[in-house]
Amino acid sequence: MSVATPFAIVGVAAVGGFLVAWLERLVAGRPSPVPVLRSIAVTLARPIATPPTYDRWLFHLAPSLLLLAGLVALSTVPWAPGFRGIDMESGVILFAGAIAYVTPAVFMAGWGAGGGLSVVGGFRFLALMIAYAMPIAMVLTAVGAPAESLRPTAIVEIQESVPMAIVQPLAVVLFVPAVMAVALLPPFDIAQAPSELGGGAFARYGGLEAGIIALAQRVLVLAVAGMTAALFLGGWYGPLLPPALWMALKTAGVVALMLWAGRRLPRFEIDRLVSFAWKVPIPLSILAIAWGGLVTLLFYR
Amino acid sequence: MNDLGTALVFWPTAAIMLATGVYVFRTASMARAGLLLLASLAVEGLIFLALASEFLGTLQLLMMSGEMVLMVFFMVMFMPDPGGLMGMDMTHDKRRAQGAAVAVGLALALLAVLTDWPAGTIDSDAVDVRAIGFEVMGRSMFTFLFAGMTLMFTMIGATLLAKQGGRHGVGPPAGELRDADGEGG
Amino acid sequence: MISLPVVLGVAALLFAVGVYGVLSQTNTIMVIMGVELMLGAAMLNVVGFLRYSWPEAASGSFFVLVIMTVMAVEAAVGFALVVTVFRHRRTAELDDLTGLGD
Repeated sequence: MSVATPFAIVGVAAVGGFLVAWLERLVAGRPSPVPVLRSIAVTLARPIATPPTYDRWLFHLAPSLLLLAGLVALSTVPWAPGFRGIDMESGVILFAGAIAYVTPAVFMAGWGAGGGLSVVGGFRFLALMIAYAMPIAMVLTAVGAPAESLRPTAIVEIQESVPMAIVQPLAVVLFVPAVMAVALLPPFDIAQAPSELGGGAFARYGGLEAGIIALAQRVLVLAVAGMTAALFLGGWYGPLLPPALWMALKTAGVVALMLWAGRRLPRFEIDRLVSFAWKVPIPLSILAIAWGGLVTLLFYR
Repeated sequence: MNDLGTALVFWPTAAIMLATGVYVFRTASMARAGLLLLASLAVEGLIFLALASEFLGTLQLLMMSGEMVLMVFFMVMFMPDPGGLMGMDMTHDKRRAQGAAVAVGLALALLAVLTDWPAGTIDSDAVDVRAIGFEVMGRSMFTFLFAGMTLMFTMIGATLLAKQGGRHGVGPPAGELRDADGEGG
Repeated sequence: MISLPVVLGVAALLFAVGVYGVLSQTNTIMVIMGVELMLGAAMLNVVGFLRYSWPEAASGSFFVLVIMTVMAVEAAVGFALVVTVFRHRRTAELDDLTGLGD
């Protein structure tokens, strides 16, 4: 970690956020990047309308907390050998800890805005996250086992020959929907749910704050996709192309897959999503930990 | 992290931790109280990081987020005035509580200053993840297994007691229960 | 700069805040919050000991892990109690919950 690290992370976030927004349009079948720029301009120009009854501190702190969570999560992703933000021995725990702060941020936004629908949006996301944050932490344990480390770079290095997704398919199946829920992607976007809550937790924001929220959502998508690529798809390993390009391609692929799935799948009711999460993925993630231990003993020692 | 870095992180984070901790019990809004508690304990995680407990610090950040947001959830459910808009007084015995708190704080602080603690030096590059892993999976394994099982049974028992109808299974429907204690309608 | 008594002193202050919360609040959930602060102070103590007195003792870190779990379980059991009591008595205010019987 050097002086330039924060700048590099913010740069990756800005460029990556724009690229994710463009990918959203690509997946939707409208490839031109110009409307993305226009919608950024429109968002920033939207006047700030203060809600009539609102909790000022929570309302104005929420966008920053959301962006901070996204940036910290992004900084734990190993992009290439020697190019990563925070390289800690317990890096994946820091990643899980960072994305765990999306929940309070969304709740603060919803509660702070003080409208009925936005509070409902905040509470819905809270209920969803209590159920979906558990598989994330458990799956990260399973993935760390073969590498005998919780350091993301070490987990990437163990995948030089075989990507983790092949060794632990259950883990990747559990991980991707859970992080999609954290990144507020459809079909798990029940906190905003444009068609039923009319924007939900984030409906009342305008101007710069709406811009920060939009950027933070893209940064989150980038962070969770990058972590998926690093932990399950072998990170920067690949033939011919330079490492950073492989990592970028894999991340873009994961982002495109997540966005595509969001466009294809219907949005479920909150009670079905939560009851499903408690009954199926959480027990299965205990199985994933056991499987991780088994393959570690059989193949990685 | 060197001594100067530790001090630079420690003092502001300690100040924020204590200030948010105090404001938990001074604010009237329950959402704010829960989120302030989250801020206090999350900042404590940063102190752990500054004190070279890397794993514990990140784990504290992870655990406290979920737990304290849950706390907010329950508070909004069970407080008569969750938004703090009615100006209800949610305290009792304030003066005696303050006295007790000051006494306890002073006693503990005196104990901390007056005791002659043994000194050890830490290797600043040492990481605690591996050591904790070997501790949990080695010497303390039996303790941890036993504690884990006890905690799990506690949680299952508590959930069973809290669910509608208690431990006897499905209880009467919600409407009937309300009628029974005369607050129906 | 920072030494063990400083860390313990800060932890003592945090513990005192928790004591004030437990004693002064009328709502059960707020009392649980006070207990969480007290447990947080205990964890800070152990981390301080780990940093300044017994760096080699991994059982200390283990103890912090156990305290963290206890915090979660304490909250879970507390919430379960509050749910049960609220279901029967329609209140979670401690001043209304003085008898064991009814």
